[in-house]
Amino acid sequence: MTAVRAIARRLATAAMVLWAAATAAYLALLLAPGDTVDSIIGDGPDTPQIRAEVIAEWGLDRPDVVQYLDYLARAAQGDLGRSYLMQRPVAELVGEHLPATVTLAAAAAVTGVVLALAVALLTAGRRSLLRRGASTTELVLVSTPGFLIGIVLLNVFSFQLGWFPVSGGQDFSALVLPALTLALPVAGVLTQVLRDGLERALDEPFVVTARSRGIRERAVLARHALRHALLPAITLVGWLSGILLGGAVITEQVFGRPGLGQVTLQAVTTKDMPVVLAVVLLSAAVYVAVSTLADLAYLLVDPRLRRS
Amino acid sequence: MRRTLRFTRLLLAGIAAGAVAACSAAPTVPAAGDAGTPVSGGTLTWAVETEPITFNPHQYAQAKARLLVWNSFEALLTHDDQGGFVPWLATGYEAAPDGLSYTVKLRTDVTFHDGEKFDAAAVKANFDQLLAPNYAPAVAAVQLKNLKSVEVVDPATVRINLTAPDVLILDFLASPQGAQVSPKSLRQAANLKAGGVDVVGTGPFTLSAYTPGQQVVYQKNPAYQWAPANAGHTGPAYLDKVVYRFLKEPSVRVGALTSGQVQLIEGVPATDQELIDTSPQLALHKQLNSGSAYSYFLNVGHAPFDDVRVRQAFRYAVDVDAVLQAVYRGTATRAWSIVGPTSPLYDKGYEGRHGFDAAKANQLLDEAGWATRDGEGFRTKDGKRLTLRLVQSAPFVRDRRDVLALAVQAAVKAGAGIDLKVSVVDQGTALKAFEDDQYEVFDNSRADTDAGAALNLLLASTGAINRTGYRDPALDALLAKGQATGDPAARVQVYHDIQRVVLTDQALVIPLYAPADQIAASRGVGGVRFEPTAGVPAGAYGIWIAK
Repeated sequence: MTAVRAIARRLATAAMVLWAAATAAYLALLLAPGDTVDSIIGDGPDTPQIRAEVIAEWGLDRPDVVQYLDYLARAAQGDLGRSYLMQRPVAELVGEHLPATVTLAAAAAVTGVVLALAVALLTAGRRSLLRRGASTTELVLVSTPGFLIGIVLLNVFSFQLGWFPVSGGQDFSALVLPALTLALPVAGVLTQVLRDGLERALDEPFVVTARSRGIRERAVLARHALRHALLPAITLVGWLSGILLGGAVITEQVFGRPGLGQVTLQAVTTKDMPVVLAVVLLSAAVYVAVSTLADLAYLLVDPRLRRS
Repeated sequence: MRRTLRFTRLLLAGIAAGAVAACSAAPTVPAAGDAGTPVSGGTLTWAVETEPITFNPHQYAQAKARLLVWNSFEALLTHDDQGGFVPWLATGYEAAPDGLSYTVKLRTDVTFHDGEKFDAAAVKANFDQLLAPNYAPAVAAVQLKNLKSVEVVDPATVRINLTAPDVLILDFLASPQGAQVSPKSLRQAANLKAGGVDVVGTGPFTLSAYTPGQQVVYQKNPAYQWAPANAGHTGPAYLDKVVYRFLKEPSVRVGALTSGQVQLIEGVPATDQELIDTSPQLALHKQLNSGSAYSYFLNVGHAPFDDVRVRQAFRYAVDVDAVLQAVYRGTATRAWSIVGPTSPLYDKGYEGRHGFDAAKANQLLDEAGWATRDGEGFRTKDGKRLTLRLVQSAPFVRDRRDVLALAVQAAVKAGAGIDLKVSVVDQGTALKAFEDDQYEVFDNSRADTDAGAALNLLLASTGAINRTGYRDPALDALLAKGQATGDPAARVQVYHDIQRVVLTDQALVIPLYAPADQIAASRGVGGVRFEPTAGVPAGAYGIWIAK
């Protein structure tokens, strides 16, 4: 019974978050300079006759409140409207591009996490040259703009060595460089957080206990310290989903990959309201889902949280 | 240029070097080079800069997407390289003596890709669709504003009736928006305005697959037998298949070409043109575009440009050659008139006139009362600084025009103490600035095949993008006369008069450079060409790959 209540509360919160996100985006677009008719016309010819047709086609003569309520009503029924610019249903547009972005983000997330775990475990607690080298590399990666990492990877591994294609073909080889571009900065941050957590855990009394039982250092790290270090890293998952979506904009652009990033960028710069709103709603939904998962992951990692 | 959507700039301006290119004004059909004689077969991969917003030619609005249109669609006429027309899906046309109607004879051997017959009824169906509500308002309001009716005379003849003489109707018949779409597509296509595999034409290729954000694939149309006389060859296309990849980053396109991942790219950054020119494996082709030159238009609606002396002074203060050299490293072609140098309407007499003259600029400003200077060295009048605002809409900035503006800013500050404020903003903010009259300089170039069409929009009192605010019945009369005059020589004279008003009498415009297109190709690719008159990369019909 409590489980049902908890789930219901989660869903209600999610709906609230989605509504708030849609409304905030709607207001932001409404307050942005220039009116919708201008945005639809773009920098093409603009005459009263053309304006009248545009206004009639999109129902822009209705008061803003009516347009907003109409949008909400339709969105609740799953109708996201039609793109001003692309002249196609938004759901179709987003559906077309979503799989590519999900694939890219998932590949980048897995790569980033695996890299971070490996590097953190290898370098934590040592005062070696390796640790210093890794730490410097992480800092460089975190502070390098995504497009620069992309261009450098492309130049070396695609243009010079010819190992991977720049784009095209939905096969695995075309995914490697974009995923790496997106994963490297993520790995940089995660490694720093994980290593810091590991090193802090290594100073705790329970580690001394574990060591006194004769457990090997490697096992102390992986089995005992890591659990403690994971908690702050899991908190970063929400941040991670944001970084991946934001990074996808640049990565898709540089590599000529299909995806939501390109759609979003185009929609924002041309004030293509229905598309922007759809992307905002989608991001909010992903965020809600990801933070729910993170909450569940806490329970899995930390037994203390299960009791309360 | 309309809707040349370059969102890239916004984020990647630092790394991307856009390009402007120089070239000879001669019509270009480059030599085959190492590709030898034409052979059939093979697949070409071509990296292009712009992904079309739509594949429906009626909705065409991106000059950079033009090279895709003519693969699968065709128009009734096409341009030759002398400013005239060549029949394409038509066999010929005849203008009535009063200029109020055009009778167009059609080919009888043409079928659409979906098996529909091309005939007079199909042509009428296309016109009807263009005039349908909520379909193509810009076409109906501009290109077809003088259209009265379209009659089917017999299956192979249509008559186009006009409300006023309008020679630009021929330009429309040769334009992408005038391309013929299968009537069946017009009736049944799932997404007519966006286009797609079910919106078909009569062209040498059929659109076979489109992956948004990535590529579009065209397959050879084996039944194709109706190329226009100036297409270079007849019968089906040489290539079996063409894959156009959308690679927005110029440096990525160049890298993809040099590493052999694609055989052809368009849009070559100025910084890479020398690399390609000197590479034994690659060939660089350049061609100036049609239409109006990239120019600064001066807002005469309020001070300081309500004074013609200040307009002249601003023009004299810009050392255009030095500025272009600094930004484009000698790859840009300087413009001397608002009309592009390849247009038959261009007045060559302006070359070398109204150029850089700092002394004259300063003298004119002194005369106009801007004689004092403030602490930063800028000219002032009644305590107000001589400030000019140039507002650029980021989505439409191309060819590094934002960087060019900064170079001009430095030049006019040093030369004449003028404070040019450049802001690159989103489209909404830019439009608001124009609406509220909060600007002094407006920048623009248009790729219309007939420069007259561009001037109508830019200069007429009611022009859709007349942002100089200059409204003059005499100039309007000249523009109307230019649109109504059928005799080519008389028409050229009208446009020379227009250029005199704009450039000499009123100093409304500062021409900067002539926009151009570049293609870089592997040596094995033959038949690379530019569209006559338009000067943009042509479709893939004439291209072959050496075996």
